[in-house]
Amino acid sequence: MGSATADSPPPSPIADNGENDLQPFFVLHKALPRKGSRKASGSGKTRRKLDSPIASPKSKDKPEEAKQAREDDYEALRFEAFDMVWLKIETTIEDVLRNININVFAVIHQWVCESFSSIRSAGMPGVLHSYPPLTNITCKQIFTGLVFTKNVEFVDDLLTFKELGMRLKSNGCHVVTLSSLDFTAKNGIGGCLRSLLRQLIMVTPDSADISILASWYSEPENNENPVIVIIDDMERCNGHVLSEFIMMLSEWVIKIPIILIMGVATTIDAPRKLLTSNALQYLSPCKFTLGSPAERMDAIMEAVLVELCTGFNLSYSVSVFLRNYFLRQDGTVTSFIRALKIACAKHFSMEPLSFLCEGFLSEDSQSFWIEKCEMMPEAMLKCAFDLPSCEHRDKFACMTAENLASGLSTMKKFRKDWSSVVLCLYEAGKFHKIKLFDIFCEALDPNHQLGAAEDLGRSSSAGHFPHCDEYSGLRKERFIHQAVRRIKSLTVAQLSQLLQIWRKHTEEISEIHGRVEELQSMLDLESDIKSLKQDGTGSPNKLTSRSHLTMEKDKMTVNEKALKLMECMVKDYLKPIECMPFHEIVCFKHVDILQSALIGDPRKMIQVDLLKPHNHLHCSCCSKSGDALVPSMNDTSIIYTLAQEHGDLINLHDWFQSFKAIVTQPSTKKGKRKLQMSPASKKRKDTNEPEAISEASVQARFCKAVTELQITGLLRMPSKRRPDFVQRVAFGL
Amino acid sequence: MEPNDGDDEEEFGFSRNYFLAKELRGSGKKSARKLSDIDLVDEQELRAAASKIPTKHEKEIISLLTSYKSLYPKWVFELRCGFGLLLYGFGSKKALLEDFASTELIDCGVIVINGYLQSINIKNVVITLAGILWDQLKTKRITSMGSMSKIQQPSSSQSMEDLLAFLDGSHSKENDCFVCVVVHNIDGPGLRDSESQQYLARLASCSHVRLVASIDHVNAALLWDKKMVHTQFNWCWYHVPTFAPYKVEGVFFPFILACSGTAQNAKTAAIVLQSLTPNAQSVFKVLAEHQLAHSDEEGKHCMPISNLYTSCRERFLVSSQVTLNSHLTEFKDHELVKTRRHADGQDCLYIPLTSEALVKLLEEIG
Repeated sequence: MGSATADSPPPSPIADNGENDLQPFFVLHKALPRKGSRKASGSGKTRRKLDSPIASPKSKDKPEEAKQAREDDYEALRFEAFDMVWLKIETTIEDVLRNININVFAVIHQWVCESFSSIRSAGMPGVLHSYPPLTNITCKQIFTGLVFTKNVEFVDDLLTFKELGMRLKSNGCHVVTLSSLDFTAKNGIGGCLRSLLRQLIMVTPDSADISILASWYSEPENNENPVIVIIDDMERCNGHVLSEFIMMLSEWVIKIPIILIMGVATTIDAPRKLLTSNALQYLSPCKFTLGSPAERMDAIMEAVLVELCTGFNLSYSVSVFLRNYFLRQDGTVTSFIRALKIACAKHFSMEPLSFLCEGFLSEDSQSFWIEKCEMMPEAMLKCAFDLPSCEHRDKFACMTAENLASGLSTMKKFRKDWSSVVLCLYEAGKFHKIKLFDIFCEALDPNHQLGAAEDLGRSSSAGHFPHCDEYSGLRKERFIHQAVRRIKSLTVAQLSQLLQIWRKHTEEISEIHGRVEELQSMLDLESDIKSLKQDGTGSPNKLTSRSHLTMEKDKMTVNEKALKLMECMVKDYLKPIECMPFHEIVCFKHVDILQSALIGDPRKMIQVDLLKPHNHLHCSCCSKSGDALVPSMNDTSIIYTLAQEHGDLINLHDWFQSFKAIVTQPSTKKGKRKLQMSPASKKRKDTNEPEAISEASVQARFCKAVTELQITGLLRMPSKRRPDFVQRVAFGL
Repeated sequence: MEPNDGDDEEEFGFSRNYFLAKELRGSGKKSARKLSDIDLVDEQELRAAASKIPTKHEKEIISLLTSYKSLYPKWVFELRCGFGLLLYGFGSKKALLEDFASTELIDCGVIVINGYLQSINIKNVVITLAGILWDQLKTKRITSMGSMSKIQQPSSSQSMEDLLAFLDGSHSKENDCFVCVVVHNIDGPGLRDSESQQYLARLASCSHVRLVASIDHVNAALLWDKKMVHTQFNWCWYHVPTFAPYKVEGVFFPFILACSGTAQNAKTAAIVLQSLTPNAQSVFKVLAEHQLAHSDEEGKHCMPISNLYTSCRERFLVSSQVTLNSHLTEFKDHELVKTRRHADGQDCLYIPLTSEALVKLLEEIG
């Protein structure tokens, strides 16, 4: 590998590597002074090209160079597109999360104001009348907001508390955000106090002393507002330090009106478990509750993956993977967002045409695409038409920029219709608690599409009242089907509510929009009749019951019509993105790549590396032997394979002897075979071999191999009690 | 497609393997052979031989490393997107990481942390890093005609918080101005404590910093909680086994066939003893000779303190119990001598070395 470092340009010549290896850290190189133009101008690109060792600097091939520069151009474009798309997604997510919390934040702010005024009424801060110190506990109460996160994973709530802090700050409060890292036994009370002073007064004092805070607060510009201390993960704090902190604050609460806000992941008795009773008596708690992760997830899904049309889409397999990852593995919205970002980055780095996604965000997509497509080099255009989704399409036989642009425009239109229908389905499914994620995944399934149309067709042809159970039994997993079918059982009020929302969602599909309005007016008419009937209280009983009957029947028909409409929407407009030509440009499909980037699996993979080294090395010497151990294999692989035959304890002596037996294996038979491949070199080696492997060298190799296993953590070293054994750590992959 | 379907099966296989392994241990097949049955060579010889071990598959390793070059553009792309890179797989990834950094990350400063070393001062790293970034921003501002007057040049007198705040500067439109930290073995012995990991995580979350790191331990991921993984490190994992020998990474590990050898213990004991006064050495000799003389008699090889005192007094080595005790404290501190309660209730002294080691030791202090 030394050679590779050698042919890199020497911006700052790397000092003797041997020396650097034993430095705790060293500067590999500093930025080149010529920096900054890489993206902006052409010269930057050529420079980069020249510096890059992959393309040999000697090549004077002009077209090659131009091609490279062009590729770099497009890479920059793709990066730009990623930036725009992700920014859009990120801001949407932030908005969604903010909106979810908007109500509870308002309540918290209200409470803060009330608490502050009640502290004020207890005594004017800054005035020295708190001496002699107050002894009454009620005067030392600290108003404490316990914010229940309904989520054991506090990572999702970091952002929530940050937002809360910002909101309170914008209302004039002095806000300090502390975390469990500030309340450690190691740093003690000084740690959190220092952090508090740092954030509030912007200085790091040598001695952590709360009187500094008191004098800061008594300054006229500061004492109009309360000091809010937010601790986002109370349960992870050190109980003693936090208790001490609370006791200290309680002594000063009149001079410095501090209000605590603490995030609680578990239950109401969490503070009781954590804090000492002394500290507890000073708290005057108030309870607030945040939304659950599932609610947040649905809101994000709706806004980001369905409603928002950014030009970055997930394929069916990727969305199923993400659903499982969220539901079964991690369960945090944060990890889901991260996974989404990785998918997005991977898409833009892998798909050469992905820069076209930007067009989805543009006001005038069509002209954006036409402009971009016309500028594209021939080869790239050909790439687009070579995509698997265009394989069987004759109408694209003519590979023109216009065709590509119009293909993309069609896709955008279909994508919009698709999201309208998914939203309508979600609204219908809401009455039966069907999760958006389930509907979303199913709506993306390219194979489901055919089946769904069939199913729905069958259900309508089977008459107006097909037996419900027949279908639920047949296709239990079909969430879309369930959502559609259950429209029939909605009450008038529910249906009217549903139609109202449908009307909003279908605004862009004029045909459907019209039909929704029609249904609405039908429903309105019905309720008018109903109210009319109810007004005529004097009418005979007979009539009422009869009219009631007809009304029920009418209602059925409206429900049924709504159902029909939904079926029609699903059939005509719910076209999965993967069924469209050119979808590869905007759709990320590589679930395996996403999975491996998101969740590395070192425990398994490192063992596989050791047990099956030729999968990666592709050497001619070891692969022939199959699973048998041969001396040419890596020593570490040999001893790890040998270790598999032991129980959880490995006797070092036996292990060494079997290693020795393998590496000193009389290789006459093998030698002969090798001889045929490269006679000259092998022959010499072969004759020398028995002498060449000295005892010292075998032992040294064994030691090195054990050390390497120790580095990978697959071994526990001999203990004093068991000096002759090492312990295995992993059993099976 | 249900990627989790195989999980249950896998888990079952996993636990089955574990119990099978445990069973094997209890079934009495456990070998009782000792390490000392091997004809161990001298440690110096072992070290010399170790330095001469030829690398197997050298050619294949080089072509493997070359094949990873095709990933470089992706890595750069992901770094710019704000991810950190985490490389794992068997084999030293030191050369790979440094090659990547020195060929692809030329327009930003790069610092390398050797996590495989025993102790690393993160603050020094952060100070240097801040200095590099400051230079970088300065050149950038000059070209874009801005001024840096507001920001103070980072110095070692600043606190960690201030330095991190500087590295986490404004998030706006400067995302292509960053410094890169390459960490070899972020799971290494010098970085394994939670404080270092917290600082690394905070460093990684700074807007001007990108992290490229390697791990080798199979359980490395246990170092991080979800906050660190999802919001700070923001890893993009890559499985890149290199099969290159862990040359420097393994330098500080003791050799398994040498560390527990008698030679080693006798040698360290000799070094300690030689630094003590002649009288103290003689007291130790009295104890050692007693132990050697009674080595065959079970339970008798250790020496009651009173006996030792008498023997030493006879030879004019100590004048009082106090002097003896001060010698003994010294011995115990260096683990040269241990005490054990004898059957008759007396405290007995013994040297925790084998007879052979003891003979060797006595020869050495001569």
